[in-house]
Amino acid sequence: MSEQAQMTSFTTQYQVHHKLLPAVIGCACLFVAFALLVKSDYWLFIATQIVCYLIVAIGLNLLAGYTGQISLGHGALLAIGAYATALAMVDHGWSFWAAAPLGTAVTALVGMVMALPALRVSTWYFALITLAFSDVVNGMLGEWADFTHAFAGVVGIPMPSIDGRPLDATQFFLLSSALFIVCFVVVARLVQSRFGRAMIAIRDNPSAALASGAPLLRTRMLAFSLSAAMAGLAGSLFAVQKTVVTPDDFPLELSIFFLVVVRLGGAGTLWGPVVGTLVFFLVPQLLDSLQSWRMLIYGVALLGLMIFAPNGLVGAASRLFARGRKRAALEGFSGSNILIGSTGSVEPASLAVRNLTKRFGGVTAVNNVSLDVQAGTVHAIVGPNGSGKTTLLNLISGFYRRDEGQVVLNEIAVSGRNAAQIARLGVGRTFQTPKLLPSLTTLENTMLGGYAAEKASPLETVIGLPRALRDQNLTGRRALAYLSFVGLANRLGDAAGELPHGQQRLLEIARALLCGPKLILLDEPAAGLSMSELDRLAALLKSIRSRATIVIIEHHLDLVANLCDTVTVMDRGAVLASGTPSTVFSDPAVIKAYMGARMVNTQETAVARP
Amino acid sequence: MDPALLLAGIASGSLYGLVAVGFNILLRPTNVFNLAQGEIVMLGGMIGASAALGLAMPWIAAAGLAILAGGILGLIEETVAVAPVLRRSATGTAWVTTTLAFSLITSNLVGHIWGPDPLKMNPPAPLSMASFDLLGVRTNSYQLGVILVAILIVILVERFYRTRAGKAVQAVAEDREAALLRGIDPDSLSRWSFILGGGFAGLIGVLAAPMLNASTDMGPLLLLKGFEATAVGGVGSNRGALVAGYMLGLSEAIGASLLTPGYQQASTFILLLAVLMIRPHGLFGHQEVRHV
Amino acid sequence: MTDMATSSRLLLRVDHLWVGYGHVGVLEDVSMVISAGAIVALVGANGAGKTTLLRAISGLLRPLRGEVVFDGNQIGGRSPDRIVADGVLHVAEGRRLFRSQSVFDNLELGLYGARLGRKEEKLRLEAVLDMFPVLRDRLRSRADLLSGGQQQMLAIGQALMRQPRLLMLDEPSLGLAPIVVDQLLDVLVKLRERGTTILLVEQMVERALEIADYNYIMQNGRMIGEGRTEEVHKTDLLQRAYLGLT
Repeated sequence: MSEQAQMTSFTTQYQVHHKLLPAVIGCACLFVAFALLVKSDYWLFIATQIVCYLIVAIGLNLLAGYTGQISLGHGALLAIGAYATALAMVDHGWSFWAAAPLGTAVTALVGMVMALPALRVSTWYFALITLAFSDVVNGMLGEWADFTHAFAGVVGIPMPSIDGRPLDATQFFLLSSALFIVCFVVVARLVQSRFGRAMIAIRDNPSAALASGAPLLRTRMLAFSLSAAMAGLAGSLFAVQKTVVTPDDFPLELSIFFLVVVRLGGAGTLWGPVVGTLVFFLVPQLLDSLQSWRMLIYGVALLGLMIFAPNGLVGAASRLFARGRKRAALEGFSGSNILIGSTGSVEPASLAVRNLTKRFGGVTAVNNVSLDVQAGTVHAIVGPNGSGKTTLLNLISGFYRRDEGQVVLNEIAVSGRNAAQIARLGVGRTFQTPKLLPSLTTLENTMLGGYAAEKASPLETVIGLPRALRDQNLTGRRALAYLSFVGLANRLGDAAGELPHGQQRLLEIARALLCGPKLILLDEPAAGLSMSELDRLAALLKSIRSRATIVIIEHHLDLVANLCDTVTVMDRGAVLASGTPSTVFSDPAVIKAYMGARMVNTQETAVARP
Repeated sequence: MDPALLLAGIASGSLYGLVAVGFNILLRPTNVFNLAQGEIVMLGGMIGASAALGLAMPWIAAAGLAILAGGILGLIEETVAVAPVLRRSATGTAWVTTTLAFSLITSNLVGHIWGPDPLKMNPPAPLSMASFDLLGVRTNSYQLGVILVAILIVILVERFYRTRAGKAVQAVAEDREAALLRGIDPDSLSRWSFILGGGFAGLIGVLAAPMLNASTDMGPLLLLKGFEATAVGGVGSNRGALVAGYMLGLSEAIGASLLTPGYQQASTFILLLAVLMIRPHGLFGHQEVRHV
Repeated sequence: MTDMATSSRLLLRVDHLWVGYGHVGVLEDVSMVISAGAIVALVGANGAGKTTLLRAISGLLRPLRGEVVFDGNQIGGRSPDRIVADGVLHVAEGRRLFRSQSVFDNLELGLYGARLGRKEEKLRLEAVLDMFPVLRDRLRSRADLLSGGQQQMLAIGQALMRQPRLLMLDEPSLGLAPIVVDQLLDVLVKLRERGTTILLVEQMVERALEIADYNYIMQNGRMIGEGRTEEVHKTDLLQRAYLGLT
């Protein structure tokens, strides 16, 4: 098979609709079979209720499982959706087909007003704010009598009708199931796209998300608004199903229930919430006779799960099956011809740093540093430990705010921007200790780097527009190319947390390269690499130097001498010397500061090597 | 605006502030915000009230029992719900779920044991709930006592953090490893913080009982009020907690004369969101420097 | 047996130590001995494992295999606070101080759990302030407002409050001016005169070798050589270690 064909066949394995289609068809068949075989209205009622809960659960999983934001307010969101729909239908005569979208939209909007301040602060603040939100909603439902009918509730919610004929129980069940399948596909597509990777990164290693250009607040808001919308949609189905909604239908217990089923099934997996909800309903006693002990049982379940089985049922099962998973491999694939250029021509950027200063209390870590890097060159920053090299890199990439000075990228000052914004300008970077997402595979970790290069919006991604698919495809292929180039082609399907240290570094470099970068910042990439890995690194850097500007912090002086066009030597936060490797390394001041006097002779020999 | 109402607001606000101080005590060495704190306060109140009423114990003994119970519950929580998850990952947020779970278990158990009826507890003699006029303002001696005691407690807590043990607690919060290298055992400090924080919560429960009436569902209310005081005052600041508590108590008192409870909660909530938008770290809180 | 081991009393013995994170081996079969009253330098390139070795001795890391014996007692695998109580103090890389607290508080915390009388504590504080007079003027300042050199002195002073028998320093010269480094090294020599044993990890190789009685050289997680300073200079071990030649 030609390289191209090999790659295409490989990436299609990662295409979402191929994997989802059998699942969707399977679900649809199950639902239809159920509808045809079961005639009892009671069981159809229960089944529809389960479907409502499933919709909320998969939405909550997107927020709490994938993005790591625990919410105690989803019962309240369900209530808002139910009430909005009910009031529109009963008090204002709207049809279901208009009231349901209204309910969904209102829930999403009210939720977003609550979430915007809450998502800017730490995770546990968010949990407590959603708890307060639940409380407030509960209170208002009971008291805003003019609007909500208070404790009498909204009575007489009619079934949706088509052509004047109301739906019967079976039809309504099928409608709910269809909506569930739509929601599931939406979540699945999102999760397997760049947005899903960004969410997981925000949960597990926010620096990795920032370095790849994923905006923290906006991504969290995306997860939240989608999960709120789904809760609202479920609420509208819930309202119609029950024909009466009262404030007592939405106790805090309901929010806790949703958390429990998401955890039970497996947070952060596609099928987890589904499995969790279904398993829960297998224990009917929980519905009636153990009612007063329910919160205790939820508490014990949550505590036990978090300590003994944090990955839930689906998580535990997939661990068992992962052992037998086929290792994804592309043999004998060099991929050298599919490198950077694929996103169109990328011009390497010039970098200038002017009088940059950063203080931490009484210590000036970076002191009036200036340097110039020509586009398309390789520039090394060397110096003893503690000389401020990493701090300088953090300032350039936006992870630290400067106290004084400017960072200029391609003639544009970028000093005030945050890390994600700078990454989106085409700046990729690695860290001193690799910041990876241990639960994702090598390939998925690398694809995170492609976040900023893809332009399709969440909506386009979820619908599956050709532009979105093309973007995803391209990211996959570029990821494969870089991974093959750094020698990780045989570890594509392995969890990144299981890779040895040197390979984790190479993976991070591959991810940085996917930012399609005009500028790459590498922080001690050679540390801990074996000889063969070092060779690969040198070869990689040589091959990309014409397409991207490289700034590299390094201690391996022979790597620096062989590869770099210019070098800046730092000492105690300030620039000691700057120039070509041969001039800098023969400068006596540099030698004195950086190495012992005895090392001079050997160093001259090393630098003299061509 | 009736000044008596405002004074009552300051008194209940003092209690909210103290609940927030309890959060801060636990938060320091562990960076865990204890979602079960409200339940521990509630348990303190229930035990205090039961001991005083049912067993006719003098106030001081009832309070002592409540403190003991709080301390034991805190220790159990640390062992069962906090230490296991912190051991696995010192920076994760799994504790949000486990402390929540612990609060559900506690609240349910206590609710089954005591039932839903609130218990009346009398203030320690010579204080009482009998109202009298102080400079023309209607108040009772217990209210005044609570206000004064709260200020005293905050002063004492701040004093504690100036002792070597208190400094060690701050050290652990700042750099766990550096603390280890100086002979400080963070695990032991965590455990003691939960014991002392639990005992503290028990005491607050006893103090609150005469004013708020101890009942098994006061836990969530106190959790939310305590959280709001912490968020507005600034995490880790005890003075901020007390001041924020006053603000909450006052707005509650003013609100009570104008709005129904649901609307009150809604307006406090909106105020909280506003504060977080403008000053995410609270009025007295500090921004943390993130090291990459 | 090296002549380090036969002369005077053995204070620390590291025996065939293996340390790793998960399945990544970081220290392989490392052995070392330190005599009482000596300054021993531990040098090697970044990533050689020097910091890891110190962390294994001070208890922050559990060894996979091998022993760490301090004054006849097995300390390998013990918790760090107990090892501090035994008299081994580790001044970590990067001046790990309690930055939001004052100089005085930091020094006081050096005595946490020490159980000394008030008088003895005062004496110790005075002794440390005598050794680092610049701290005396800044006793109430927040630690993060000190300069780099002052912070390093505070970090060492904090450890000295415990009057350690073995003081381990990890790259104290980081980011400091040569004059300040000279001052620090003078302090170390003074400490040796008073009987403190010192294990010094340094990237400023020449300076470390100058004051050391004995040296160990590491590369890629292994001990590749040892000896007195003159002996080490005669070989090419240092060049090999730092330039990555094998």
